[in-house]
Amino acid sequence: MTRNPRQQHLYTAIRKAIQEKDKRTSLFSCMERGREKRAIRLDSLPGGTAFRKEVKAIKERCIAEQEALVAKFTRNAEDRGAKVLFARDGNECIAQVLRIAHDAGYKTVSKSKSLTTEEIELNDFMEESGLRVVETDLGELILQLVHEKPFHLVFPAIHKMANEVAEIFEKETGKPVPNDIPEIMRIVQQYLRPIFLNTDIGMTGANVGVAENGAIVIETNEGNARLVSSIGKCHICVMGMEKIVDTVEDAMMMVLAHPVSASGQMPTTYVTWMAGRTPLGDDGEARESYIIILDNGRTAMREDPVMREALHCIRCGACMNICPTYGVTGGHTFGHIYPGPIGIPWTAAVHGLEQAGNFAELCISCGLCKEICPAQIDMPTMISEVKQRDSEQHPLSRINRALIHAEDNAKIGCATAPLSNWALRNPLFRTLLEKTVGIDRRRTLPPFARKTLRHQFAARKPKDTSAQEEIQGLTQQQQARLRRKVAYFHDIFTNYNAPELGMAVVEYLEKLGCEVVLPEQKSCGYPAIGYGDLNTARDFGVYNVARLAPYVREGYEIVCTEPTATYCLRVSYPKLLPWNPHVSDVAAHSHEFFEYILDLEPDQQAAQLLAGRRFGMHCSCHQRPLGKANGAVTWLESLGAEVIRVETGTCCGMAGTFGLKTGPLGYELANAVGEPLFERFKAAEIEAIISESSVCAMHLREGTGLPVYHPLELLQLV
Amino acid sequence: MATATDIETFQTVFAALAGQAHYAATRDDVNSILEAILEKEKPATVALAALSDELTAQITALCAEKNISVLKPPYQSSELPSLIDTVDIGITGCAFGIAETGTLAEVALDDAIRLVSSLPRTHIGILHTTDLVGTLLESSTALRRIFDEHPAGIAVSYLSGPSRTGDIEMKLTLGVHGPETAYALLLGESS
Repeated sequence: MTRNPRQQHLYTAIRKAIQEKDKRTSLFSCMERGREKRAIRLDSLPGGTAFRKEVKAIKERCIAEQEALVAKFTRNAEDRGAKVLFARDGNECIAQVLRIAHDAGYKTVSKSKSLTTEEIELNDFMEESGLRVVETDLGELILQLVHEKPFHLVFPAIHKMANEVAEIFEKETGKPVPNDIPEIMRIVQQYLRPIFLNTDIGMTGANVGVAENGAIVIETNEGNARLVSSIGKCHICVMGMEKIVDTVEDAMMMVLAHPVSASGQMPTTYVTWMAGRTPLGDDGEARESYIIILDNGRTAMREDPVMREALHCIRCGACMNICPTYGVTGGHTFGHIYPGPIGIPWTAAVHGLEQAGNFAELCISCGLCKEICPAQIDMPTMISEVKQRDSEQHPLSRINRALIHAEDNAKIGCATAPLSNWALRNPLFRTLLEKTVGIDRRRTLPPFARKTLRHQFAARKPKDTSAQEEIQGLTQQQQARLRRKVAYFHDIFTNYNAPELGMAVVEYLEKLGCEVVLPEQKSCGYPAIGYGDLNTARDFGVYNVARLAPYVREGYEIVCTEPTATYCLRVSYPKLLPWNPHVSDVAAHSHEFFEYILDLEPDQQAAQLLAGRRFGMHCSCHQRPLGKANGAVTWLESLGAEVIRVETGTCCGMAGTFGLKTGPLGYELANAVGEPLFERFKAAEIEAIISESSVCAMHLREGTGLPVYHPLELLQLV
Repeated sequence: MATATDIETFQTVFAALAGQAHYAATRDDVNSILEAILEKEKPATVALAALSDELTAQITALCAEKNISVLKPPYQSSELPSLIDTVDIGITGCAFGIAETGTLAEVALDDAIRLVSSLPRTHIGILHTTDLVGTLLESSTALRRIFDEHPAGIAVSYLSGPSRTGDIEMKLTLGVHGPETAYALLLGESS
C-alpha cells in the first residue's frame, strides 16, 4: 500500500524504536517504577486517589474564573514588586525577554526547567540574539548539549544511559568523565557552579501561580531553581496562563498532586513560593523580577468545548508513565515538543493540528491515561477529536475504515463460511488481504461461524415465561428486576465468531432464572472512536441506545460480555451523545456479565468445579474503570480456581483492532508493547490465561503460546 | 502545637528522604548534636542565617572551640554570592515544619538566606517543634500567615531532605546542585 510522507516518517521512527530493545526495556522499567511508586504512595495517602477529584474541581473552577484570576495575580504580584507582562503568543514573549536582556545589557541566562519556554523555543531565539543560555536541570542540560527535545515531561533525558551522559560531558568539559553516576554529578556540579554564580538572568517557569498573594511556585528536586531565582541580577519567569489558581490551598493541592502522580514523591525536595523579589545581602538593592504570562493558544483552547479540559493538565507526566505505545517509542516519536497522550491535544492547540496529527495515531485508545491523570482529564476523547479534525485534511486510511465497518465483512464471512474460513487460512489470500486492506498476514484470525449467535438464538424453542405472575403493588421496572430480565448486548465477535460462547452466556443466565432477549444491535463502534471517525461512532451509539433504551424502560438490565462494549455503553456513549435523552439511562443499567451474575445467587452445582486449577487473569484496559475484572475473578474463585492477576500495569498492546493492522503502526508495535506481559504470563506457572476480551485473547494466545479462555469456556471444558 | 507523634513522624520521613533529623530537648542537647555533626563533617567554614541571637551566639562559641570560622549576617551584597560558595556547612533557622512530609520551611526576605541553605555541601535546618504542623495541606495556614505578615518581596522555601536527581537512568543521586547532606535539628520547648 502507498503511504504518505507523514506516515512513512512515523513508520520509520516506530521501527527504529522497536529495534532498540535495550532502550525500550529501560524506558519500560523507568515507567513501571514511576507507576509502582505512585501506587505505593497512594496506598498510604489519606483518601488514596480522592485528591484527583479535588484537583479536577480546582482546575475547573480556576479555568472558569481565569480572567479574574489573572488580574488578581497581576495586582498582587506587582504589589510585591514584580513586573507582570502578558504575551499573546510565543513571538511576543520572545520579544519581551530579548528587550529585557538588551535594555540592561545582560549577556548570560541560567535556566531551570520550563516546558513553557520550550513550547515557544525561547532558547533558540535567545542564543541567536547572542545570549549565553545554560539549562541547569541535569536532564535538560544533557538535552541542550546534544540539541534534543525532551523525551519525557518529568524525566526529559531518561533515554540517555550513564555512559552516553558521560560522553556528552566529556565532550563539553574536555576532561575525562567516568561512566559512574555520582562521579558524573560531581563534574556537572563543578561545571555549573560558576554559571550559577555569575549569571545575569535567572530564568524559571512556574508550576503554579497563586492569585491570592501573587506568588509563583517552583518545584524541583535538584535545587537548581533556588539558585537560578536567588542569584541572577534579574529573574524572569515565563508561565502559561492556565497555571494560575486562586488560593494557597489550591496551590498546595497541586504541590501534592504533581510529584505524587509523577513518581510517588511528596512533595518535591524543594518548593519555592516566590512573590516579588528579595534583595541579595543586607545592603542589597531591589532586584528585577519579571513574570511573563503566556497565552499562545490557551484562550482559544478555553473556548473549545472539547479541548478546554487540556488546560487542567498539571504537567506531572503520569499519562506518559502508563501509555503503552509511548513506553515503546518514547517522546521523540510520540510527541512534538509536548510528548505523550496529553501532548496530542496540547500540540494541536499550540503547535497546530498538522503537528499533532503527525503522531496522534500512536494513541491506541486504551483509555489508561484518563485513569491515572491527577486531574481526571478525558484525554481519550480529546485525542479522538484531534484525529477527527485531522481527518478533514488527511482522510482515514483504508484499514481504519475497514475496521470501523468490520461488521459488514463479518456478515459476508459468516454467509460464505466455510469458504471464508478456508480463505483466512490460505497464505495467498492473507497476502492479498494484507496488501489491499492492511490486515497483517501473521495474525491468526478467528473463523466465522456458519450460524451466528442471533441465528442460533432465534432458532431455539422460545422459553416459556408465561408462568411468571404479576406481583401486586410493584412498578413494571421493579417487577422486571425481580423476574431478572436481561437484554444481552453481545457485540460482533460473539455474534459472528463465537456464537457458542454467546449461547453459553444465554443458557447460564437462564439457569439463574433470567429471561434473556437479544435486542437489535450494531457493533459498539469503539474502533470509530479510536480511529477518529466520531460521526460514525455517534451513528453506532444512536442506533444502539435507541434499541436498548426501550428494554431499560421495561425493566431489563443490559448485560455485555465484551469489556469494550460495556465501556462504550457506560463511558463512551454518554460522552459522545450528551444530548441523547436515553444515554444515561442505558449507561446506568449496563453491566459486565460477571458483575451482573454475582448479584444473583450462586450456582451451587458448579461449586468446586475448578478446584486445584491455576489460571492467570488478564484485565483488559477498558475493564479497569469498570471494575478491574473483579467479577470474573470472584466467580472463578467461587468455583475453586486459583486466579492470579498477571499484569504490567499497562495495555497488552492489542488495543481492540489495532494489533490486527499490518506494519509498525499495528501488529509490530502491538507485539513490542505486549512483550513484557507475554514474559510474565509465561513465567506465571499457570495452565491457561483468562481473558474476557476477545481481541486481547487473540493477542495473548499468539504472544505466549498459552491457551486463553473466556471464563465461561472453562465450564464447557470441565 | 506539635505532638510527640508529629516529631517522630518528621524524623522518620526526613530519614527516608536521606536526611538526618535530631531532637534536642535541652540547650546541652543542641550543643552535643551540633558538636557531633561538626566532628563528622569537619567544616572549615560555617555560615549562619535566620537564627535567633541566642542560637547564633551558641553556635559561634561552639565553632570557636573547634577553630571553625563562622560567617554570619549581615552579609554585604558586594560579597555575594561568592562568599557563601566557600562555605562547608550552612545553618539556617526555619519558620515552620511539616511532619507528614519531613519538610522545613525557610523564609527569605534577603536571598542570602537561600544561598546559605543551598550552596554549601551540608545544610542544617533548625526548627522549634512548636512550629511543626501535621500535614502538607495543613501548612497552607502557616504559609498564608507568613505572606500576610510580609507584604513585600518574599521567598518561602519548602526543603525536604538533600538535593536529589533521578535524571540519569532514574537512579537516585544526592547533592547535584544543593546540599548532599541535610540535617534537621528539632528544638524542644526547653532547649
